[in-house]
Amino acid sequence: MPNRPVPVPDELTAPFWRAARERRLELQRCTECGSYNHPPRPFCGRCLSEKLQFEPVSGRGAVYSFVVTHQPNVDGFEDAVPYVSLLVELDEQRGLFMVSDLPGAMAGRVSLGDRVELVFEKLTEEITLPVFIPVASV
Amino acid sequence: MTGQMVDGMGGIKGKVAVVGIGYSKIARNVDQTLAALTVDACTAAVEDAGLRLSDVDGLAVFPSAPYLGAGNRDGVDVATANLLINHLALARVIRWYVQIDLGMVLSAVAHAVNALAAGACSCVLVWRALHQPTARYAAWTSREATGDSQFTAPYGCASILQWHGMAYRRYMTEYGATRNEMATLAVNSRRNADLNDHAFFQGKPMGEDDYMSARMVADPLCLFDCDVPVQGCAALVLTTAERARDLRHPPAYVAGYAQNTSARPELVSYALDDYMACAAPTGTRLWKTTGFSPADVDVAQLYDGFSPSVYYWLEALGFCGRGEAHQFIQGGRIELGGDLPVNTFGGSLSEGRLHGMGHLAEAVRQVTGRAGRRQVADAHVAVVTDGSPMMRGGAMVFSDQP
Repeated sequence: MPNRPVPVPDELTAPFWRAARERRLELQRCTECGSYNHPPRPFCGRCLSEKLQFEPVSGRGAVYSFVVTHQPNVDGFEDAVPYVSLLVELDEQRGLFMVSDLPGAMAGRVSLGDRVELVFEKLTEEITLPVFIPVASV
Repeated sequence: MTGQMVDGMGGIKGKVAVVGIGYSKIARNVDQTLAALTVDACTAAVEDAGLRLSDVDGLAVFPSAPYLGAGNRDGVDVATANLLINHLALARVIRWYVQIDLGMVLSAVAHAVNALAAGACSCVLVWRALHQPTARYAAWTSREATGDSQFTAPYGCASILQWHGMAYRRYMTEYGATRNEMATLAVNSRRNADLNDHAFFQGKPMGEDDYMSARMVADPLCLFDCDVPVQGCAALVLTTAERARDLRHPPAYVAGYAQNTSARPELVSYALDDYMACAAPTGTRLWKTTGFSPADVDVAQLYDGFSPSVYYWLEALGFCGRGEAHQFIQGGRIELGGDLPVNTFGGSLSEGRLHGMGHLAEAVRQVTGRAGRRQVADAHVAVVTDGSPMMRGGAMVFSDQP
């Protein structure tokens, strides 16, 4: 298992991590145009409104793309290589992406378009990390 | 100015030229400080132009360190305008300078063009100095993930290497592109580097088999899809078209430029669509402002920090259709002697990572007949792109006529 760097919540991201600690995935959404922003921003990336709030999302999505990371570039992942880095597109919105990772043994069994779903991995008392896994492996 | 319609920047077309090119030693490990390498390249560029250092009255630089976690000591990790003013004793002659944070070195050149066209100064030195002591692309070394990296580093996915890999796999899947097709680009770059005395990979030939068997770094990207990290500096001297006519070499006139604007305000990785959203408008503006079109271009120097960027630039600039670049580059088209020679100096893949300065210098050489053994016959117009087409950077056109 990788020794993951631990997120440090800030004023924009604190609601995300508060929800994740309770095992809910909540993303920033614009109350004016309904668009989701991830990572959270001071204003809506689509309509520039500052009226934003965090709302639960389904946690369902599909593999938009992936790489098999052989050369580690994040300290704590040296012994995890090779591993699969996933780019997941959530069902809620085209282009709404989150990243995740899978063990390298999964490399030959992942394809673009594969359905994924959400599980949570507790890192510290404060931080629980949302991660995605292929639906078939649940 | 010719009778072509231009957009916005009509005032600069043909008014400024590059007149000097200088390189320091370019190597993986160099026994000189970055300050010394920078001075070497800058003095070489001024001498190449047939000018003296005291003629330089403007400076433009994009000094950012090339990798995550790099230090910021002036003259060691970066080479700022302040360093040049002090080391070259230019304090009394400098009238104008700019040090940019956003963009790439092409953006610094664009600033220099504007300043010269506006009469703010008469002779500008632009340089790019790269320090790469560990030869490590990028590393998240903190145990804490802050800012946007809260959503990437905990998953071990904090590097643009991986983000480029994400976009490239999507490209391969959507358009049926293969690694063998990309080998054509990598092998072409290596072959061209053999004709470039500054190139890190000069004299180190590579065939398709070498590319195909290279170790993967972020599969589908292998080692030879990545530019080679080097230490060194390259510099250009720009002046007004009027003054350029009397100097040592023929002038490479700046026909115009366009800068990228990032298409996505929120980002955890590049997605395939980002290159068209970000770089296609750059292409539209470039052709409009220069009055040229892809059909006018004799030679292209396209940024290849990661090899797929060449595909994206070819498509975004309109040299071929979307999803077609992997086929477009086949059959000798991008080779010396082909219809559109690409990265005739070896690109960053084979010359070394100078963050686009190598591309700019080569565009200048080609339109001024100074490319030696790799000279493209009848090269009148060159396009150069700098930076990832996903984010910052831009494009510029050089011409042998004002």
